Amino acid sequence: MGADEAGPDTSAQDTSAQVWRARAQDLEARLRDAEARLEESEDTLAAIRQGDFDAVVVEGPNQERLVYTLENADRPYRVLIEQIQEGAVTLGPDGVVLYCNRRLAEMLALPQERLAGQPLGRFVLPVHAETLARLLEEAKDSPVREEVAFASADGADRPVYLSLSRLERRDDRPLLCGILTDLTEQKQHIQALAEANARLLAESRERERIEEALRQSQKLEAVGQLTGGVAHDFNNLLTVIKSSTDLLKRPDLAEARRTRYVEAISDTVDRAAKLTGQLLAFARRQALKPEVFEVGAALHAVADMLDTVTGARIAVIAKVPDEPCYIRADLSQFETALINMAVNARDAMAGEGTLTLRLDGRRPMPPIRGHAGSRSSGFAAVSLTDTGAGIPPDVLLRIFEPFFTTKEVGKGTGLGLSQVFGFAKQSGGDVDVASVVGQGTTFTLYLPQVEAGPHAGHGLLPEERGPDECGLCVLVVEDNVEVGRFATQILEDLGHTTVWATNAEDALAELGKDPRRFDIVFSDVVMPGMGGIALAHQVGTLHPELPVVLTSGYSHVLAQEGAHGFDLVQKPYSVEQLSRVLRKAVTGRRASGESAGIAG
Amino acid sequence: MSADEPQPDASGPYLLRLFVAGTSARSLRTVETLHGLCGTHLRDRYALEVVDIYQQPDLAQRDGVLAAPTLLRIAPPPARRITGDLSDEERVLRGLGLTASPGGADGR
Repeated sequence: MGADEAGPDTSAQDTSAQVWRARAQDLEARLRDAEARLEESEDTLAAIRQGDFDAVVVEGPNQERLVYTLENADRPYRVLIEQIQEGAVTLGPDGVVLYCNRRLAEMLALPQERLAGQPLGRFVLPVHAETLARLLEEAKDSPVREEVAFASADGADRPVYLSLSRLERRDDRPLLCGILTDLTEQKQHIQALAEANARLLAESRERERIEEALRQSQKLEAVGQLTGGVAHDFNNLLTVIKSSTDLLKRPDLAEARRTRYVEAISDTVDRAAKLTGQLLAFARRQALKPEVFEVGAALHAVADMLDTVTGARIAVIAKVPDEPCYIRADLSQFETALINMAVNARDAMAGEGTLTLRLDGRRPMPPIRGHAGSRSSGFAAVSLTDTGAGIPPDVLLRIFEPFFTTKEVGKGTGLGLSQVFGFAKQSGGDVDVASVVGQGTTFTLYLPQVEAGPHAGHGLLPEERGPDECGLCVLVVEDNVEVGRFATQILEDLGHTTVWATNAEDALAELGKDPRRFDIVFSDVVMPGMGGIALAHQVGTLHPELPVVLTSGYSHVLAQEGAHGFDLVQKPYSVEQLSRVLRKAVTGRRASGESAGIAG
Repeated sequence: MSADEPQPDASGPYLLRLFVAGTSARSLRTVETLHGLCGTHLRDRYALEVVDIYQQPDLAQRDGVLAAPTLLRIAPPPARRITGDLSDEERVLRGLGLTASPGGADGR
């Protein structure tokens, strides 16, 4: 705008000034207007800041007016997602977290703002990376659900159940939305359950094992008690019979006495017959009386006897080598073992067949039931072979168990073969069995072979009779009236004098009266009161010069501890055995003043 | 935002904080865009935090954020603030002080 063009007149200048003034006024007005609008805008902003509006009006893409409520209509759903106790996530097509709720951040132990904008795959355990990638891919087509585990920032593994599905977007590629359920507690519960289950199983197995052990020990306890009790009673009876028969052999016996002995035998046999029902051939706790004997002769003797046991239709064959073969074992137990095996063979053959008894000397013992065996050729092998039904393998494992039997009730006790087993083990050997179903069974006893010793024979020392010249005074201590009566009778018949006390306390009283009138004390072991062993110790202390001989049919104490160094004569004893032991005890004591060994 | 401002040290780590509002379409799209943009122009030289102003309003208040979406450049200094539409990549790059040419920002 040039002033020069208007000319130098004042009116033109006035006009120019007016124009400028008008412009200034216009600008002032516009400024006031702008200030006012700014103030309005600031008021509006302040109102927005202070939350004083409920809604705003905005311009849409086509210049249309849209009303936005500030309190969103979808607020309940948003709050639901924010508050839900499952992890919620929205993922881009490439697996980047676009949105997540607080629970997911807690599960991964991360600040919430560090999660969005990151690929979800960054937090998964490496072993599950492939699985997650596959799920992300599959979820684009159809919903997927699978278990994966994330590495929580606190170092823990976080197993989750992840479900993913497609989330459609207007005018854009679809996204994925997912829910992650924390399985940590569930896993812990499952593991706790599994552990509890395993514990229960282990406890129940342990319980079964203990119960089995208990049953086994109860069986053995029963065997021991039954055998011990029966053997004790029976041996008392046998003592009466044995003594009577020995005395009956004496030529100079008065008729009245002979009749008494015979009647005693008859009565005793009747009572013994009742006991045989309970008599057990086997008790592992039984004290054995090992002696050296020739097996061949014993085998022949048993074979002869077996004919009556097995019946006429079973042929019994004994194959014994010419060379003598000695073992050291309890002869009567040996015979019992053979009979038990023979009875078994008879039943297996149903009464018809061939039973072969065979002896082989100088054999090694093969490994048997997990035991190593022995390569040294130091065993006598005694075998019994039948032509019977054989034993199935599952039964074969159990045949030596006490009370195990395949026979009907009343036909067998289940103790026969366990006696064989017990005898073999106690004699330092073992028993093997081989069986073919339908062909037969062979039992083989392996027993340590020994050289023929000075005690060879049938166990009894060759004895010259000579008790009559002794004329000893014997203090007999015996609680059983019949045994006591017979013991005193025998001793008197042998030419001794006797004083009979029925218990250890009475015996000590007798000794207290005049100890020097006795030459020897002959005492039972098992008696009411202090018993024989305590008595023997007392006598040893009070009257060390007085020998003591103990006698017993069976005793726990003796079986467990031996005879405590005292002379012992086992029931049933023969007259000869008794007189020999008494004389040995008296002469031994007189000669050396020492306690003699246990009588053989 | 002005061309005469000193260029920030583009080789240093970028700390960016994005404020969005819940699962709205714009929010999701903004996060997606920012993630892609940072990956392209900053590679691994950045840390991006995404704040949902619904769930963490205290963080919005702390940074004086009124509306979403808003993007803050915390580091490198000076702090920068970009509000409104963040789908314009060039505008965002300018706001962050990165040159519009991807090659120029990338090379350093």
